[in-house]
Amino acid sequence: MINLQQVSKLYRTDRVETTALDNINLEIGKGEFISVMGPSGCGKSTLLNLIGLLDEPSRGKVALDGKSIDRYGDRALAQVRNERLGFIFQQFHLVSDLSVADNVEIPLLYRKMSNKERRKAALAALDRVGLSSRTHHFPTQLSGGQQQRVAIARAIVGRPGILLADEPTGNLDSQMGDEIMGILEDLNANEKTTIVMVTHDPRMAEKTHRIVRLFDGRQVQ
Amino acid sequence: MIRNYLKVALKVLGRRKFFTFISLFGISVTLLVLLLATALLDHVFAAQTPEIHANRMLGIYRLTMKGPENIQNSQPGYAFLDRFVRPMTKLPSVERIALVTEAQDVVSFLNGRKIQSLMRRADGDLWRVLSFDFVEGGPFTVADNENGRMVAVISETTRERFFDGRPAVGKTIEVDGQRFRVAGVVRDVPILRYSSSADLWVPITTAKSSAYKQEWLGHFTALILARSHADLPQIKAEFQSILRGAEKQLPDPKTFKFLVAGADTLFEGAARMFLPGEAVVNPGGRLRAVLLALMIGFMLLPTINLVNINLSRILDRASEIGVRRAFGASSRTLVGQFLVENLVLTLIGAAIGLVLTAFVLHAFNASGLIEHASLQLNFRIFLYGLAIAAFFGIFSGVYPAWRMSKLHPVRALRGRSI
Amino acid sequence: MTRHLFKLVWNRKRSNALMILEICVSFLVVFGVATLGLFFLDNYQQPLGFEWKNVWSVRVDIGQSGANLGGGAPEQAAIFARLLKEIRSFGAVEAAAGTAVIPFDQGGMTGSWTIDGKDVQVDFAEVTPGFAEAMGLKMVAGRWFQEADSALSWDPIVIDRDLAREVYGSGDAVGKPFGKAEAKERQRRVIGVVSDFRKTGELMPNGNFMFVLKGMDGPEARPLRNLLVRVRPGTPAEFEETLVKRMQAVAPEWSFEVRPLSQVRATSYHFFLTPLIVAGTVSSFLLLMVGLGLIGVLWQNLLQRTREIGLRRAAGASRTAVHRLVLLEQLVVTSLGVLLGALLVVQIPVLDLIGVLSNRVFASGLVFAMVTMYLISFVCTLYPSTLAARVQPAEALRYE
Repeated sequence: MINLQQVSKLYRTDRVETTALDNINLEIGKGEFISVMGPSGCGKSTLLNLIGLLDEPSRGKVALDGKSIDRYGDRALAQVRNERLGFIFQQFHLVSDLSVADNVEIPLLYRKMSNKERRKAALAALDRVGLSSRTHHFPTQLSGGQQQRVAIARAIVGRPGILLADEPTGNLDSQMGDEIMGILEDLNANEKTTIVMVTHDPRMAEKTHRIVRLFDGRQVQ
Repeated sequence: MIRNYLKVALKVLGRRKFFTFISLFGISVTLLVLLLATALLDHVFAAQTPEIHANRMLGIYRLTMKGPENIQNSQPGYAFLDRFVRPMTKLPSVERIALVTEAQDVVSFLNGRKIQSLMRRADGDLWRVLSFDFVEGGPFTVADNENGRMVAVISETTRERFFDGRPAVGKTIEVDGQRFRVAGVVRDVPILRYSSSADLWVPITTAKSSAYKQEWLGHFTALILARSHADLPQIKAEFQSILRGAEKQLPDPKTFKFLVAGADTLFEGAARMFLPGEAVVNPGGRLRAVLLALMIGFMLLPTINLVNINLSRILDRASEIGVRRAFGASSRTLVGQFLVENLVLTLIGAAIGLVLTAFVLHAFNASGLIEHASLQLNFRIFLYGLAIAAFFGIFSGVYPAWRMSKLHPVRALRGRSI
Repeated sequence: MTRHLFKLVWNRKRSNALMILEICVSFLVVFGVATLGLFFLDNYQQPLGFEWKNVWSVRVDIGQSGANLGGGAPEQAAIFARLLKEIRSFGAVEAAAGTAVIPFDQGGMTGSWTIDGKDVQVDFAEVTPGFAEAMGLKMVAGRWFQEADSALSWDPIVIDRDLAREVYGSGDAVGKPFGKAEAKERQRRVIGVVSDFRKTGELMPNGNFMFVLKGMDGPEARPLRNLLVRVRPGTPAEFEETLVKRMQAVAPEWSFEVRPLSQVRATSYHFFLTPLIVAGTVSSFLLLMVGLGLIGVLWQNLLQRTREIGLRRAAGASRTAVHRLVLLEQLVVTSLGVLLGALLVVQIPVLDLIGVLSNRVFASGLVFAMVTMYLISFVCTLYPSTLAARVQPAEALRYE
């Protein structure tokens, strides 16, 4: 499903050139639950960004279902992100001025749907993560775990096939972390959602199908 | 300590150049407009040649006669001023009194060319109450006026129009069908000096008709030169009691029973002209209130704008502030830092505004839009400018500074500002 | 999407409050200046009711103030009549008349009458019979004054159409009495109606006007303050000197000042338009300042929302969608400011605060101000929104 061929990513500031990723080859099949691990600064998040089409490789090819993404224009990329990908971040990135339900609706704004349909889908997603009682609250009124659950609801509201999670439990205590992990496992098992998760925590990584390890931008084993 | 603040302030302002630019733009333009208005007011009302003693001079510019069914309002007539105001010279606080008409349009024809001039008729005392700048010859005297001699004092521009700028003393000038001998030439008086500007002056007694001698309402003004500024209130009060006496001698009490007038400073005189309606004894206060309201009304928008920009500037640095707070900076230091920044910004903006004002004033004087105008940037106006700038700086800094002190350090570190 | 927008703006109303206030005040400023300008423009398009080209005014100073208010004597009226005769004898003069007030000039006479219980404000002028010809008046009904009218036992008056409509409605005004005669006054009666006479000029609205006959014989006769002389087209300016010399010969003790009506008109235009020009210039600067401030504040706002923008991009918003979001949000904020301003401003016609302002002028001013504010807002949002759309999602989300 997702294919990375000899992918490298370089960052250039005024004088310094940093290699974030070096010659990565990766293949992710449909329905897989993968974790990416490695020490800080090893390029995990960069890898996730590339897989999630948030960024472009400096060298190499990233392909989704066989089609290379360098063929996609901005509009097309946006469409893919909207319909096929869902993101979950360590910092949640919820909009504090919007209610929980409004936050979850955001991906659906960029699809042609009626307001009623959007609301229905949002409530359904919130129900899936167990937050039906909090739809009109604001993010600042929720605990960390609840906020992440809202973020997950937002990520799955459009029924994407692929979820990309960047240290989803990084800001949570172990109990909340286990809850979140449980939801992800559930999604993977029941809806066959492909999940790529970056994590620090070996306990979480253990529960996944496969672990990809990175060190200084390179794949190691 | 202050130098430290200053250094940091300048660095910070340099970092966000666009913000600095729009703040400076707003402050300098606002100041420009306010200073132009102030320069104009100064030009009209401040002590200036020939009214160099304006701060101890009063004028009776308007007289209202009121009756049960009628009300008539105009400049005082010669009869009224001669009978009731001239005797005030005997008061110890009064140095001198002059009677002069309003400036009237008169026409001359020279070699088929039409020349329009503003003419005043005056007694010989005018030259001792006001101080004109003579570039040629001298004034006519009290004796000249008593004997009805046909002499005239003309302005430089009049000399230009009639004599091509060549020496004019002793030459004849024909105005409104009358011929006068030029006795002196004075520097032009700006047209907005409503109590003294004219193109030529001739003695009162040269008037074509002597009907003016009988009139209570006419087109005359009395200029009263006091011995000192402190004497003014007493002279004003004295004039009011003279009015009460004059009322008893009104020629037709059935039609007109009351008199309303005031011995006014230049400012009060203008106020009386501008704010008509019921004749008021003290119109100066009203005009001042109107001007203040206009000034505040005008500054409303720039102030809101500046507060908005300052607030943005602060929120922009929310995380920086959070870091500083985390490292132990007190609210006081931070607010102080911000206020210094604000003050520096305001002062720079004020400086730019002053330079702009100087340019615009120069261009305005050169353009001749208002005759003989010579608007100046003097020390007094500069001080007003500083005062306005200081007000601006403080006012537009208070609310944002307050918001800044309430920033929650942890939230600020996270980049959130609420 | 609209609902989402409104919710965004509404939930952020506290931080948007200053911006809304600023837009509201700017709206009020633009409205004030625009309405004044449109007021003049609207008035300018109505017909004047008289011809001013080739007409000269002559101010007659008999050396005495109060010539209009019962000053002077019948002997002087005789001199005045002689002046008119002498002036008319010139070949270059087509018509001449005496009048208490001249058009375009500030001075004037106003009276107020209570007719059938209504308070009627009237501007009026005392004129000699030659006035209609000198000023090119057009009769709409009835007739103008004649010399013989001075012998009537009642006061003939000629009113303009505005006044006729106000007092007599749609009925015929000719022959009708005008108000009740007070104790010593004679009864006034309308003998004719002219098209609307706008004495103050093109820039001021219509008023009610009434002409009163001033005869130059009889014990009540007095000289008038002004003369109006219609000269043949092409008469050179040197004729002024000839005219003045002749008048001076008839009345050596009097003073004369000739001013072509074109000059009086130009002066009155200066008087009315200067404040408008000054206000317009100052307002333009203020708007420029507001616009710049808007760009700065918007830019900083969007900087703060970088993560939100990154998030939206990740959720599938294209660059255009982000662009549109920012523009539309600002549109809503502007609308709030404009709405607030409009609410304030609409009190004026509702409470009838400014009588002379017609609803049409008021509405035009409102629309003009609205369009201006939207335009400024739009232009100032273009650059910040472009920057926002360029946000790279990866960079934005990596923030911390």
